Amino acid sequence: MNTFFNGRETWLHKINPSLKLFTITCLFIFAITIHQLNLMVAFSSVVLLLFLFGTGHSLKHILLFSLPFILIFVSTSSSMILFGKGVTTLFKWGYVHITEESLLRGIHLGFRALTFAMLGLIFALTTKPVKLFYSLMQQLKLPSKYAYSFMAAIRLIPVMIEEFHTIRNAQKVRGAKRSGKIIEKIHRMHALAIPLLSQSIRRAFRIAVAMEAKRFDSTKKRTFYYHVGFTKFDFIFLSYFILMIALSYKFSTYFPLLPDTDVRFSND
Amino acid sequence: MSRGLKLTDILVTIVISIGFGILYKIWGPLYYAVKPLGLHIDQLIYGMWFMAATVAFLIIRKPGVALLAEIAASSGEFLMGSEFGLEVLLYGVVQGLFAEGAIAAFRYKRFDLVVVSLAGISSCVGSLIMDFYKGYIGDLTTWNLTLFIALRIIGSILFTGLFAVSLVKALEATGVTKLVRPSSKEDYEALNQ
Repeated sequence: MNTFFNGRETWLHKINPSLKLFTITCLFIFAITIHQLNLMVAFSSVVLLLFLFGTGHSLKHILLFSLPFILIFVSTSSSMILFGKGVTTLFKWGYVHITEESLLRGIHLGFRALTFAMLGLIFALTTKPVKLFYSLMQQLKLPSKYAYSFMAAIRLIPVMIEEFHTIRNAQKVRGAKRSGKIIEKIHRMHALAIPLLSQSIRRAFRIAVAMEAKRFDSTKKRTFYYHVGFTKFDFIFLSYFILMIALSYKFSTYFPLLPDTDVRFSND
Repeated sequence: MSRGLKLTDILVTIVISIGFGILYKIWGPLYYAVKPLGLHIDQLIYGMWFMAATVAFLIIRKPGVALLAEIAASSGEFLMGSEFGLEVLLYGVVQGLFAEGAIAAFRYKRFDLVVVSLAGISSCVGSLIMDFYKGYIGDLTTWNLTLFIALRIIGSILFTGLFAVSLVKALEATGVTKLVRPSSKEDYEALNQ
């Protein structure tokens, strides 16, 4: 869901959302079983390829989305690089102890975080929430009262953001200070959060009463406005990953770019 | 009384949680901006991610709310395009399950600081288990790992315990919680007079 930039529709948009979610969950689990840096780098590039060219957004937008990735890479890898276990010392200064093992492990973690971020963004950029919840209802039998509540709540996001601005402006008009001590900051957070939360609860309650009156919580067999099924693109999506993962195995075995060791620490 | 959550409970929980989801999305950049400092200062603010579960539970006070809240908050964050990607959704499910477990241990009968703090610590344990596999935190040097865990637990108690309770107390004062809580024994007695 991204309302700021609207890209083209691509084949990734046409994949069944439940299947897409299931696939990237499997890829997540697969990624945390990778302990070889070479394979991790190869797998990251498989995802990168799809992220760069698959989402239907221009490269400029994709680069813009990727800006936080640099921070993620640095922040995820740094504490492991600086404080991880290891034997072969590269650098030591006070508490900081960089070893070859911790360096490799840190970089590995950085790539892992990058992969998860890209997978998540691929999903978010190519999936309409409404289609996702319709698909969850039809394919995974999610009870309709949950699905419709989710859809209603997502529709309320813009209203909540608008209300947030209204409350803040009202506070500004009344002379609320911007800076201050931590205690004052907490008070100001409260002054913002309480009206925002209480109004949201009241609104949600009103909507829920209306939805119950219209039998949205009915457990009888429903009909659906949107029918979400499977297409050939689902098959292409699955084969892409199966094929490319097989390729990355081969590639990382025959052309290891980096030291080929298990990044986990072992005592032997 | 019917079993399970009614549509009203579900919608209110999800709306509160999606609100937290927006907050989490803003919280992310703050988190990884303080993270490279290295000494795990970031772990102090990690507890924010467990807060949706306890706040929603304190407001609605029904079984299942904590789990639903944590899942809804994380899926909100996920669908808005979180920098952490799919990770948030899976962590959300695990943290929600652990929080729910802690609350269920008190048979959903206690709504005080101790219970929600324990729920927070429980979520914290859940997230640590995930980090053990995903982030290799077991491979940090011992002093560093201890600091990491200690700061995260302190943060959990701070956010899911203290902040959540004070937030809900303030909400109770506005009267809005009466809309969504199950009617208590006193309410029925009031009708009998």
